Amino acid sequence: MIPVYVTYGALISPLGETKEMHVLALKANQSGIRKVEKSGFNGEDWYLAKIEGLSENRFDQLFQKGCAALIQSLGKDILSSPSTRVILSSTKANLSDVETDAFESMRRLTIELLAVAHEPIVISNACVSGVLAINTAADLIRTEKCDDVIVIGVDAVFDFVVYGFQSLFAMSDEPCRPFDKHRKGISLGEGFGSVWLSRKQHNDFCVRYLAGSSSNDANHISGPSRTGEGLYRAVKRTLLRAERQPTAIDFISAHGTGTLYNDDMESVAFNRLQMQHIPVNSFKGYFGHTLGAAGVIETYTSLLSMEYNLLFKNEGALEPGTAETINVLTQNQQQEVTCVLKTASGFGGGNAAFLMEKLDV
Amino acid sequence: MKLVAHSFINASGLYVNGTRQIDLTGEENFLKKAYSELNIDYSKFHKMDNLSKLAFLATELMNEVVSFPAEGEGMQLIFANQSSSKQTDMRFIDSYANQGSPSPSLFVYTLPNIVTGELCIRHKWYGENTFFIQPAFQSAQFIEQAELAFSKGNTQCLCAWVDAKWQGNEECFLFLIDHSEGLLKPTELLEIYKSYTHE
Repeated sequence: MIPVYVTYGALISPLGETKEMHVLALKANQSGIRKVEKSGFNGEDWYLAKIEGLSENRFDQLFQKGCAALIQSLGKDILSSPSTRVILSSTKANLSDVETDAFESMRRLTIELLAVAHEPIVISNACVSGVLAINTAADLIRTEKCDDVIVIGVDAVFDFVVYGFQSLFAMSDEPCRPFDKHRKGISLGEGFGSVWLSRKQHNDFCVRYLAGSSSNDANHISGPSRTGEGLYRAVKRTLLRAERQPTAIDFISAHGTGTLYNDDMESVAFNRLQMQHIPVNSFKGYFGHTLGAAGVIETYTSLLSMEYNLLFKNEGALEPGTAETINVLTQNQQQEVTCVLKTASGFGGGNAAFLMEKLDV
Repeated sequence: MKLVAHSFINASGLYVNGTRQIDLTGEENFLKKAYSELNIDYSKFHKMDNLSKLAFLATELMNEVVSFPAEGEGMQLIFANQSSSKQTDMRFIDSYANQGSPSPSLFVYTLPNIVTGELCIRHKWYGENTFFIQPAFQSAQFIEQAELAFSKGNTQCLCAWVDAKWQGNEECFLFLIDHSEGLLKPTELLEIYKSYTHE
């Protein structure tokens, strides 16, 4: 089978604009979530992870910043190569253009700024978009459609989304606390995350994408399955395709939004999978819930864990407490990190997962 | 890969494999009319937004001529549109901008992949699925994605172009592809789509 390698693209978040800034912030367990006055529909002060200095047209500006960072880190040649494809992952894209076409500016900016040879593929599948985009990227390389895929996940904070989650009583009135016993809901965030999948190795730190899958809960459009059925099936298929046992996994980068039902659902699924002992975190306590960007951002930060052999604390969980017990990281942990499971779950009953493994070079 | 069956719905009617089964011209609420004509009893239909209703109806009609695998095993859903959940997005904006408060029942439909979620609930499908945004119906992308799905061991792909730009401009082109011998060309698929939309 054709090998697929995963490495860093770029990351723009409230914690910084470079890899180094993110390493420092995560090591120090700094969160990008802040109280934003009168951000709620009735003037409530919600906690959000917003990027400072973005203008009115924040989505396009965030996207432009991200593209500049990508050019800086990968160079123009790989981006514009005829054997490179780009996959964009976003839930709401530039929502301020919803009356005309919210997804137009992102496509146009990709073509203009990155000078890509092919029209980008766009995935919009709620909170599992980013993981689906990475799985699709690997499949494109494996079927020899191209040699390289740049996956970009991006979403900005819009009133629309804040008011929506508020209407569902899903917004936390304190910074989100994924997997905590007293969790109260989500903190929304914004960001631009990018990873680079390739059939070639590009640096000494070398991670191989093994396999991935997705599955629907077939249960409810906005409520997670009580049995974690979709997540269970997505991970099961991933293990089967990757030919790995749960015992091979050193770390799970879970979805962990901070809502009561989602986090319980994940704990149930991980127990059914015999993965309750594996160190697990959610990065939402650092970045907030960045929706279509989340899966890509969390893959980027999982790569950091693999490179530095350092698992990051699940920021926000003082006292882990979910329906079933799982091994939530309550502090940073230095250990060999070879094999990582990334998962995501979202509205529409979607679940997705993949496994990646570090190679000795 | 081979095209097994296709269905289509817009304000002019409900079609399967190129033949109009139900004439909907002149209907004020063509989705409701199609639902009652199909004699289905599924109360969740009435809660759905137009995007989900379109795909639901096209799938029900296709199900009359093909049977889907139990639990959707080995069947990947590949769905796409141009305007995401625009119609419901606009209604949700109206709920908080003009009607007093953000409506939770509208908000949950402000994602395009709620469509695939509704179908999975209806049919108890646990297979793989992905929703794409395309600037217009791109037959080549559907075929490429179906190739990827088959390379992972799936044997069928239920694909849909399901778009609801505004009231009156709504359509769903649903097609089932399987892994058997045959070379399905993007042009062939595009011709079928055009034969429905240009009628």
